[in-house]
Amino acid sequence: MARWTRLLPLMLGFLLSTPSWGEEPLIVAPSISEVKITTDFAGTTVEAVGAMSRSGDLIIKLMGPKQEATLSRETKLGPFWVEGERVKMEDAPSLLFLYATAPIASLLSPEEQQKYGLSLEGVWVRVEPQLKAHAASDWRQAFLRLKEKQGYYHEDDTAIRVFGDRLFIANMRLPADLQVGNYTIETLLVKSGKVVGHTTGGFRVHLSGIERWVWVAAHDRPWLFGSLFTLLAMLLGLVLNAIPFRRGR
Amino acid sequence: MLARFALLFITSKTFMEFFLPIAHMDVNIVLISLYGALVGFLSGLVGVGGGFLITPLLIFTGIPPIVAVSSGAAQMAGTASGASFLHWRNGNIDFKMGLVLLIGSWLGGGGGVYLAKVLLRSGQFGNVVVFLYVVLLGFIGVSMLIESLRAVFRSAAPVKKERSASAESNSLLRTWVARMPWQTSFPASGVRMSIAGPLILGAVVGILTSLMGVGGGFIMVPIMIYALKMPTKIVVGTSLFQLLFTTAAVSIMQAGINHSVDPFLAIILILGSVIGTKFGARLGARLPAEKLRLILALVVVAVAIKMIVTLLIPPGDIYGMTVEVR
Repeated sequence: MARWTRLLPLMLGFLLSTPSWGEEPLIVAPSISEVKITTDFAGTTVEAVGAMSRSGDLIIKLMGPKQEATLSRETKLGPFWVEGERVKMEDAPSLLFLYATAPIASLLSPEEQQKYGLSLEGVWVRVEPQLKAHAASDWRQAFLRLKEKQGYYHEDDTAIRVFGDRLFIANMRLPADLQVGNYTIETLLVKSGKVVGHTTGGFRVHLSGIERWVWVAAHDRPWLFGSLFTLLAMLLGLVLNAIPFRRGR
Repeated sequence: MLARFALLFITSKTFMEFFLPIAHMDVNIVLISLYGALVGFLSGLVGVGGGFLITPLLIFTGIPPIVAVSSGAAQMAGTASGASFLHWRNGNIDFKMGLVLLIGSWLGGGGGVYLAKVLLRSGQFGNVVVFLYVVLLGFIGVSMLIESLRAVFRSAAPVKKERSASAESNSLLRTWVARMPWQTSFPASGVRMSIAGPLILGAVVGILTSLMGVGGGFIMVPIMIYALKMPTKIVVGTSLFQLLFTTAAVSIMQAGINHSVDPFLAIILILGSVIGTKFGARLGARLPAEKLRLILALVVVAVAIKMIVTLLIPPGDIYGMTVEVR
């Protein structure tokens, strides 16, 4: 019993001295918890503000909800360029921003990058229908290239500003045409090639107000919505045409 | 004054950005209402619906083709309602003829909407729309251009020759229509023919409305005047009546089946086109008819050429991507 009590401080000391970076080496707060798409929505900026318990390199990964994309390839039909083959790209995130304080490839080994999903090239995409490996790879490359070109996938090692090795801010500019759903912000603290801190936060993007109302009406009650709206359009045209007509007389 | 306001709006870009819920993209209100105004201006100027212009313009802007076509149908129902009302008051509508045409175009329109759905699923919708446009606009534009150039330069001889040639083909069509069953008379137009004639004509126009987002007046009006020998005044009123209820039905069906009518897009277009129509009608009253037709022909040819060029030029990127909007 006495021996056990004598061991207690030792055990506590051992527990406390263990580098507990898994607990709270990092605190990150996104500036918003939801993004509302309203009629005047033209994109927004999300800030991730955070603190780290000790100096190290940071990686912030912003990932949008999954999205089904259809890729088409133009082919030549006689002298004309027309849309030819089409494939579906499934399960890929609609948006993927990788921010870091240094090039990610220089911070982590390829295995670690793969584990945390920290490379644009390594994005998991399911090509539908199933194709032979090299054909699928062509489509995959095209998909990643288009996503980067449209600004939905990108990597930036200058976007995180660090103050005094403890505080950091990252500004993330979101485009207007956003997939609706849950977005996650993962922040990783990296020290000498190892991930020593990892937190996850996020926000929700949804249609709001009249945008949401119209979308729900058009999809849940398509016939009623179509009939009422067409009637409204006809009335609008009638009224707009009639007013100046009377005045002109 | 108006131009200064317009400039002010265009420069304050974010203020005029509008997020379209069905197209799921943000557009510039000024740009879209300018499209509406341009088309309204043309229709006021030369008396065409202008659906053939709206759809390509919207597609060039990046609106998905199916949304452009469907919202265009809603827009035409809106603009046609005011004009049809005036014609109805003036007694220019042959309701019997209009109803037969309507039955045809509703059937054709329904088939067309279903065809659009099948084509969308197989990924061929964009191709079909573009090719239909190139063929139709090219054909109509070039024949209009030739006709109006002749009229402007008053070379009488070729016009006469063309007239006899078209009269020949018209008489062929007429004897064909005369031989068909279900002969009936249309007293308001003062003609007697088979019901099948306007029924088929309506069906063709209905298919075009749902696939191309056009009213089909450019086909309907000449056929009714030259082949069916109806009085011009009645033709304009009746075709507008038919246009109104065909586009309305197509708009409802597109919304019901393809969920592709964007209400905000349609409303912006209606507002623009109503204003444009007033200006067009005012200018149209002052310009001679052959010059008006020449303007229209040049616009149609320009759109056709633009579409052909996009088909012929090798694309900068052979890959394209569309995402499933949720």
